[in-house]
Amino acid sequence: MFPFAPYVVKSLWRHRARTILTVSGTAVALLVFCFIGSVQKGLLALTEDQEAGRTLIVFQENRFCPQSSKLPQDYASTIAKLPGVTDVVPIKVFTNNCRASLDSIVFQGLPAEKLKQWRELSLQSGDWGSFEGQDDAALVGQAVAGRRNLAAGDKFTIGDVSVVVKGIFASSVAAEDNLVFTHLDFLQRTRGVNEAGTVTQLEVHLADNADPEAVAAKIDAEFHSGPVATTTRTKGMFQADTVSDLAELIGFVHWLGYACVGLVLSLVATTTVMAVQDRIKEHAVLQTLGVRPLGVFRLVIAESLLLTVIGGVLGVVGSMAFLYSTGLSVAAEGVTIAFRPSWDLAGQGILIAFVVGLIAGLAPGWQAAQSQIVAALRHG
Amino acid sequence: MSLVEVINVTKEYANGEETIRPLDGVSLTIEQGDFASLMGASGSGKSTLLNLIAGIDLVTSGEIIVADTDITRLSRGKLADWRAANIGYIFQTHNLIPVLTAYENVELPLVLLPMTAAERRKRVQIALEAVDLTSRATHYPRQMSGGQEQRVGIARAIVANPTIVVADEPTGSLDDETTEQILELLGRVNQELGMTLLMVTHDADAGSRAKRRIRLERGRLIENGQETSVHTLRTA
Repeated sequence: MFPFAPYVVKSLWRHRARTILTVSGTAVALLVFCFIGSVQKGLLALTEDQEAGRTLIVFQENRFCPQSSKLPQDYASTIAKLPGVTDVVPIKVFTNNCRASLDSIVFQGLPAEKLKQWRELSLQSGDWGSFEGQDDAALVGQAVAGRRNLAAGDKFTIGDVSVVVKGIFASSVAAEDNLVFTHLDFLQRTRGVNEAGTVTQLEVHLADNADPEAVAAKIDAEFHSGPVATTTRTKGMFQADTVSDLAELIGFVHWLGYACVGLVLSLVATTTVMAVQDRIKEHAVLQTLGVRPLGVFRLVIAESLLLTVIGGVLGVVGSMAFLYSTGLSVAAEGVTIAFRPSWDLAGQGILIAFVVGLIAGLAPGWQAAQSQIVAALRHG
Repeated sequence: MSLVEVINVTKEYANGEETIRPLDGVSLTIEQGDFASLMGASGSGKSTLLNLIAGIDLVTSGEIIVADTDITRLSRGKLADWRAANIGYIFQTHNLIPVLTAYENVELPLVLLPMTAAERRKRVQIALEAVDLTSRATHYPRQMSGGQEQRVGIARAIVANPTIVVADEPTGSLDDETTEQILELLGRVNQELGMTLLMVTHDADAGSRAKRRIRLERGRLIENGQETSVHTLRTA
């Protein structure tokens, strides 16, 4: 065991204001780092998972916001006959906000049997039967339910859409935890308009041997001269295109994550340099008593590590607790990017805190270890 | 063989373009159980000589042999290990670690040595009893008087039962009454515990408490306090 542990802890506590400020600065930086990391993971999951590459989304040509895409629902039966297609799911989408927002509510109306077949939902409360049996019933994703404090049996209204919560679900796809599923025909007829027969998008499921790009081209060619032309992309590409502005922003924010790491490095290095300069004589006394130069180096590194690891753990735990409890997501044009906290990310955050602590302590540790004892004893 | 042999030691350092030589070819020996005072005016080289014998400064030339180890040939790391096992250092301003209690300060040299926790506890208790400070074991330096701090410093210096205890002006920052107590305590360390003591002082009264007086002037030995020089010993 490290015999100087009490000395290291007490030395940090001696300058508690400085220590607390450094630890909190580290914690905030790691908190931001984890937020950025989790939204990046959410974006990655949206565009790169296997299902995203094997499912096609048919959307109205040159339309972006789900409110403006209106495809004839009977396109589904035409598409279903194309080679390589195993099923087509008509989906009506309604969102209260087409712009990028942290509190968008996205409704997706699907035929109940298709919802059951193609979405891996696990009901946390409520029951499937009562959803199927009621026209204005809704299954609410756990993240939305958490944010809006909803429970089975509640009635809520967003925009002109009023639904009764018949179940709260958890999905295997994190982004779906931010959706509200309703019956297709309910969403087509609500808000005082009759959009029966039109859908926002068609979700096309492919056979294992089908070439997604070839099928997409066939679908667009089929309707090229029809009443509504289509644009068909893989689900991943569709989502990436839809949130492209947001993705660009998230890509930029990625650099802010690195900036946070740099900030911690300079913050902790400054604190450690100050601590070493304050204790030049004390380190000389320790060396006089027989602590090796390497031992002094280790003491300084230990202090620096303790600062970053405590700050890192606080920041990581804080961010994970917040992200898990709020189910935060950001949505644009009906596509949601769920913040995805994970053990991986937590481990990465703590590892970064550790490495930064190590690096921040190197120069001051070396300086402390190299000092001449006699000269240092005359100091201050 | 003597406990400490200082053989033709010179110490130089550069100050700009000028070379300062605080010690110039000093040779002396210190025997086991000695209580020697190292005296001289400011700048005579007495503290430099003490620091060289304590292994916290490096000679420019010459040899210092302590208990058969030529410490001038040791690397910095080995020298630190050697100090931990062989040197008890009493500072003028006691230099206790402010965040540690009296007990923890005294225990500090022992955590560097291979020793069980029980053995450490026992030794710290004995050292604190020797300086009559068991009741202050849990006190921090800021909660003690200057004299008490210096006694903790002495306990810290003797706790590991070192080969030699060196003291650099141990009463330099104390009042007369406390100086008397500390000198008495150092005398007991030498007589009752049998420890070899080398004390730098510029105070003639303090110096007279030692069994032997060594005097330096401008980096040279002018009074050895004994008849036989180390060169005589070597050639005999």
